[in-house]
Amino acid sequence: MEETKKLFCGKCMVEMLPAPTGFSYLGHAFRTDVLRCPSCGQVFIPESLAKGRMAEVETTLEDK
Amino acid sequence: MDEIRRMIKDRCMEKEEPFCASVCPFHLDVREFIARMRRGAFNTAFRLFSNTTGFPAIVAALCPEPCAAVCPRGTVDAPVQLNLLEKAAVAYAANTKPNSYNLPPKKGRIAVVGAGLSGLGCALRLANRKYRVDVYERSGRVGGRLWDEMDPEIFLADIRLQFSNEEYGLFLDHAVETLEPLRARYDAIYVATGSGGDAFGLTCENDGLEGIPWASRLPGVFLGGALLGASSMEALSQGLKASLCIEDYLKTGAMRSAETLPPTRMRQAPEAIVRTPVVLPADGALSTKEEAVAEAARCIRCRCDACVRHCGLMRSYSKFPGRIAEEVEITITPGTLDGNGTVATRLIASCNQCGLCAEVCPERIDMGEFLRASHQAMREKGAMPQAFHDFWLRDMEFANSERASLPAPPPGGASCTRIFFPGCQLGASDPRYVTESYRFLLGLEPGVALRLGCCGAPAVWAGDMELHRRVRERILDDWRSLGSPQMIMACPTCLEMFARYIPEIDCAPLVDVLAASGHPPAERVNGEVVSVFDPCASRNRPESQRAARSLVREAGYELAPLPYEGKRAQCCSYGGQIDIAAPKYARRLAEQRSKDGEAPYVVYCSNCRDVFAHAGKPTRHILDVFFGLNGWNAAPPTFDERRKRRESMKTDLVQEFWPDMELREKEEIMENRKSIVISPELREKMNRERLLEEDALDVIEECERSGRRIWDPSAERFFGCKEIGYMTQWVEYASSPEGYALFNTYAHRMKIEREDAPHGRN
Repeated sequence: MEETKKLFCGKCMVEMLPAPTGFSYLGHAFRTDVLRCPSCGQVFIPESLAKGRMAEVETTLEDK
Repeated sequence: MDEIRRMIKDRCMEKEEPFCASVCPFHLDVREFIARMRRGAFNTAFRLFSNTTGFPAIVAALCPEPCAAVCPRGTVDAPVQLNLLEKAAVAYAANTKPNSYNLPPKKGRIAVVGAGLSGLGCALRLANRKYRVDVYERSGRVGGRLWDEMDPEIFLADIRLQFSNEEYGLFLDHAVETLEPLRARYDAIYVATGSGGDAFGLTCENDGLEGIPWASRLPGVFLGGALLGASSMEALSQGLKASLCIEDYLKTGAMRSAETLPPTRMRQAPEAIVRTPVVLPADGALSTKEEAVAEAARCIRCRCDACVRHCGLMRSYSKFPGRIAEEVEITITPGTLDGNGTVATRLIASCNQCGLCAEVCPERIDMGEFLRASHQAMREKGAMPQAFHDFWLRDMEFANSERASLPAPPPGGASCTRIFFPGCQLGASDPRYVTESYRFLLGLEPGVALRLGCCGAPAVWAGDMELHRRVRERILDDWRSLGSPQMIMACPTCLEMFARYIPEIDCAPLVDVLAASGHPPAERVNGEVVSVFDPCASRNRPESQRAARSLVREAGYELAPLPYEGKRAQCCSYGGQIDIAAPKYARRLAEQRSKDGEAPYVVYCSNCRDVFAHAGKPTRHILDVFFGLNGWNAAPPTFDERRKRRESMKTDLVQEFWPDMELREKEEIMENRKSIVISPELREKMNRERLLEEDALDVIEECERSGRRIWDPSAERFFGCKEIGYMTQWVEYASSPEGYALFNTYAHRMKIEREDAPHGRN
């Protein structure tokens, strides 16, 4: 998944733009910028993020 | 769990001294001394020896080697020649000068009565700590009975050297007639007047039950050495200890005798000691450096470490039970409110539950059960990551759902005599394992009912005992409704689970039934060599282990033994379903196990079969041999195939044996849903990451239904996600003539916050 290409919300048909989003895991909550629909708030997580930074944080929290 | 924790604390022998150190008057840390000697580190070996004994040259010359009598090597070839090693350490250390400690002077003043080895040892250690010490000696020379025992040049030089950095008073030709004047001038006194010397009327306060030196009834006055019957080495050791008793008194005012250490409880693990000839000095007196290193290498450094040597987990973490118990304790009951410090979570979730630890432990400490109970405690607190077991719990849910489970009476209305319980993974591995076995059993007796489903092991391994209780109740209901007959179990894990959690059901292992049937295996080979890999769950089932071997031999195979089998069976890596929590460790275990024997394996657990097949080891299930099914290199099924096989197996069995049985609506069956096109590469990735085709289809259908999807115009594809269990699964897809084309799928454990993105959540 190339992170630079344009993606659109399939519902609102507006371009997805980086916006702060909340995540939680094992009782810890945090916010970070990911692509979202400015209109309905739908979020997009690319595989590079899911398997990269997110997986790292998941492992860190599991071993904390 | 508390009981095992207590056992670990009270009975684990990891910290017990080795036999040699236990009988050494100085309790020399022989393991460490040897470790230094065997790498030729004479300086540091000497330093350890010197710090322990006070007068290294004297001890090396006089030590009568009580260790030799208890060295386990003595029963095989010859005890390790520790005294020769001590002499070599003294001879080859480049620097034998005592350390000089730049400490401020301390307040206490101590008198030592007697300048023999015991008194000098006490004086040396107190002077090292910068107390003011005065030694009073009746005769005109120091050394006491050393003059009768060794070359005065050596001991006088050693005494001079050891005191060379210290200031102390030495009063020769000074007989002490009574202690009163000394008590007035000194804060403490050590009486070491030698064999037949004056005890000043003092006796031990505790009838000799305490260790030596004794604390007398006079505050600050301690007695020890040859005065109380000690040998030279014991006398010196007591003198060193007296310095500690005196310091304790000066600091706390308490009069305490030295502690007597109980004899070691150490038990040498029953490992063969390899016969290695003793290395004696060629010149008959002093070993060369090479000789000393070679002799040190003979030491097996006795330690009770059977658990760490045999258990893959404890070896991998290099942790003994005591340490694990401590880490588990702080993990289950963390000291901070937000749960920081749950250090052992992954360790707890990485135990195969195979039971080998308890088998090899001389005290039978069951670390597996300890970790299982810890897992349960973590689960009950909600502190165990759900993702570690979610996939397998959903697999169990599937196996026990209408799609794959079945309680069915004996076909054709025969009255029920037994129930066949193949277990949920046998048919997933190959449906013929179940269908052929069932046909065979019906051939033996027509009254065999069939119960397809899961035994509940995944719930036990996930620590979810409430879930397990529900599975158990259903099994019991079905069993009772069929008249509570014996159950024939194909899976050793199911059998183990039943024996432990549903003991009211009488069970017979399938492999035993096959061997007792008198039917020969379907195939016959001519002396090919194989190894029978016993599943860990067969540990306490010698009959099954014999039955499996007899079937394999009957098929014409020769058997090659494995290092771990029978009572010492080890897990293939499947047990505990640890592969999500510890994927690398699980993979390493499987590879190691598959290399334990060179010959192909015959197994009688389908999980072992699939694990070894995955690791590339030529392996067959005993049912392959008995019914002539798969060859040595049959590919392991993917997770998608495992589901489809169970689903179609149920349908096929019902059609064959219970044609009148009403099956549920067909639409729910995977075959009847919209189809989804997946490339072989993506299938392989999905199998590796445990992402199921039917879950991907669920996600796509959810995206299509809700319209919540993301459009990528450059590729003309959609992205979307849905929470599947405790995971959030993403798909990249497009519509296709068959239904959908799936281009990619991936998942993460983190949740996207509900208020931020309500997609796909129920």
